Amino acid sequence: MSRRVRVALVAAVGLVAAGCAQDAPQDTWDPAGPNAQKINDLDWIVFPIAGVVGLIVLTFIGIIVFKFRDRGQPIPEQTHGKPALEIALTILPALILIGITIPTVGTLMALNETDDTECVINVTGQQWWWEVDYAQQDGCGGISAPIVTSGQMVIPIGTPVLVRGTSRDVIHSWWIPRLNGKRDMVPGRVHTVRLEADEPGIYAGQCTEFCGLSHANMRMEVIAMTPEDFETWKARQLAPYEAPEAGTLAAAGEATFIAQCSRCHQVNGLEDADGDPIIARPDLQVYSGAAPNLSYFTTRNTFAGASWDLLTAECRRDVWESDADTIGEKYLAGVSADCLNSVELREWLRDAPAKKPMYADAEQLEATDGLVRGMPNLALSEDQIDELIAYLLERK
Amino acid sequence: MFTTGSKFLIGSAVLAAIAAIAYGVTQDGVMGTVGLATAAVALAYLAGVNIYVRDSNIWEDEISTLESAPAAARPPADSVWPMAFGLGAAVLTVGLVTSQAFFVVGVVIMLAAGAEWTAEAWAERASADESFNAEVRSRIANPLEFPLGAAIGIGIIVFAFSRIMLWLSKTNTVVFFAAIGALILTIAFFLAARPGLKSRTVVGAIAVGALALVAGGAAAGLDGERDIHEFPTTEEPTEEGENICLSPDEFEADEKSSQSVGASAALAATITLTEDGRLTFAVNGPVEEGTDSLSLPRSNPSNVVFVNESDEDRRLSLDLGTRTVENEAGEEEELEHVVCTALVQPGGRQNQTLTIGAPSIVAPDGYFFFVPGVESARLALVVP
Repeated sequence: MSRRVRVALVAAVGLVAAGCAQDAPQDTWDPAGPNAQKINDLDWIVFPIAGVVGLIVLTFIGIIVFKFRDRGQPIPEQTHGKPALEIALTILPALILIGITIPTVGTLMALNETDDTECVINVTGQQWWWEVDYAQQDGCGGISAPIVTSGQMVIPIGTPVLVRGTSRDVIHSWWIPRLNGKRDMVPGRVHTVRLEADEPGIYAGQCTEFCGLSHANMRMEVIAMTPEDFETWKARQLAPYEAPEAGTLAAAGEATFIAQCSRCHQVNGLEDADGDPIIARPDLQVYSGAAPNLSYFTTRNTFAGASWDLLTAECRRDVWESDADTIGEKYLAGVSADCLNSVELREWLRDAPAKKPMYADAEQLEATDGLVRGMPNLALSEDQIDELIAYLLERK
Repeated sequence: MFTTGSKFLIGSAVLAAIAAIAYGVTQDGVMGTVGLATAAVALAYLAGVNIYVRDSNIWEDEISTLESAPAAARPPADSVWPMAFGLGAAVLTVGLVTSQAFFVVGVVIMLAAGAEWTAEAWAERASADESFNAEVRSRIANPLEFPLGAAIGIGIIVFAFSRIMLWLSKTNTVVFFAAIGALILTIAFFLAARPGLKSRTVVGAIAVGALALVAGGAAAGLDGERDIHEFPTTEEPTEEGENICLSPDEFEADEKSSQSVGASAALAATITLTEDGRLTFAVNGPVEEGTDSLSLPRSNPSNVVFVNESDEDRRLSLDLGTRTVENEAGEEEELEHVVCTALVQPGGRQNQTLTIGAPSIVAPDGYFFFVPGVESARLALVVP
């Protein structure tokens, strides 16, 4: 066996073996809800048919290539047309296509059905993170005031959720493979997709429409929890602001936040010295017009477009690998000082564009009138970073 | 001894020398004298070179070169392309120090003239047969010349028409072009009725018409467009300073507004003024009609459609608190920030795209939709 053949064989075996990966959180073949299950059921119709057809075609090509290879023999007699064969080769593919079309169209129509949804969640894509907001509504068990978060969407299990999505800058695509198919989010339009999870868990996804420099770093997660846990989560997202205790590092962090971060990032309930609410105006700084709301920053466990964990590897594993009965409780515990992934959070605060490629230098953005895409380097000192981390740890 | 070319150059040199002397005697300053004297020296130098190479003609005693020397070759035909290329270079240079438009025109002229010049030069060397060479040139250049020429010609005609139309008043435009249309029809009828007419006459008539069109377009373009009235929008106060969004009355901004909406797939919400004077809303999802507030995302264009089910013309206004503007004295001033649709007739609907940068807590009373003239029509808007 030549070296080239051996390399090809090893590559082929590696490729096949990759399909056996256990740690594959974005596995579309492992559905976790009725919508993804519908897609999976369709896959099991389409892929075997396509596989058999592909195998037959490739086998025939192989046989023909081998059997009729050029060995210096004269060119055989050329004939034109064989009606029976031609008719058969027209009817057979048509029948196969009809056989595939019927379940495919049925599945598409079923996936587009949104009348049965009981909860509406808005998602808005922008370079390079997802904002998730829950409008005031009767659905989702009742939401009395808007909830705004980012990177992670929390849903109750067994509840059909209507995701209404759009984009603030370029086309993005929302995809949580274990819960449903992907849906493009186009600026100026509102797109809908239904999500539903059978079991509590964390379901990962990522933007699947190339959207610029950090497209690969635009991730998101859906956290499904029991309705009881979901009620707890909602209550925490609507809890009033608690100012840090005077004289603490976190109190200094609040001042640093107001001075450095509040131009773009909103913390609900934060007030200035006159008692007036501090309103972030990201639309005056950022091209997309938005920046993540950090009111309850450490109730979620990722940051920067869900690209990095707020939890250390050990604590993350403890949450992600916990069973359905305990995952809600562990997620709701948020991020403690012991579990904080301070290394990567510090790197982010020290120089965000160095960690995640972004167009964040206002001086080089003539085309956007100086509005940045992503978080710029704020040249924070190490002391300021310490203060901010202490302040953000209390945002839960 | 003196060749034809050298005589010309010697004469020019002598003339420049005389001019230098005359300038030096009669005018102040030395730059003119220096320039003319320099020209005289340069021309004398060229004359010397010309005499030496005998206008690039072969020497009389060099019989062998009679057929092979460049001077023995057939001279190229007259061509306008070098001149056009030079014109392009000049326009390009002018454009470098004046405006980008000139620069672009110069580049275009240079590229077109260069292409034509290249094709022509290449074709002239294709064979010794001039008619064959001309055919070769046509084969290369015509596929480029015809579409480009047609595009330029159509562009000139359209541009000239547009200048004339924008110069005339709206009424006169209709009259003028109706008359022109009738005239063209009459001439075409006349030409069709007399097939024996000389083609030169037809071409002449068309040329005169084209010339008149271009001249008319140029004159109208130079004189400028007529005053075109701009319709105000609902965002601007009236001349009397009245805020349109607070009034149920009709203004000029309302007169030609659309009363139908087609972009239903991208709606964030539909807000309806009911017959009994309430504002209700519907969104895609389980939020029921009649819920006391509508939520819209922040910093994102949201399309909201207003449906007027009342029996009077009504507009939908949105109170966004206040906004800071700079007045004529350069001082900052707080003004009411209200946006609205135009007046919508009973049964009509109109789209309003809202992009709100700040959350609703920024306004002391929050954001709210209302309908001027209908006290009971009020709907809170929550922007998180």
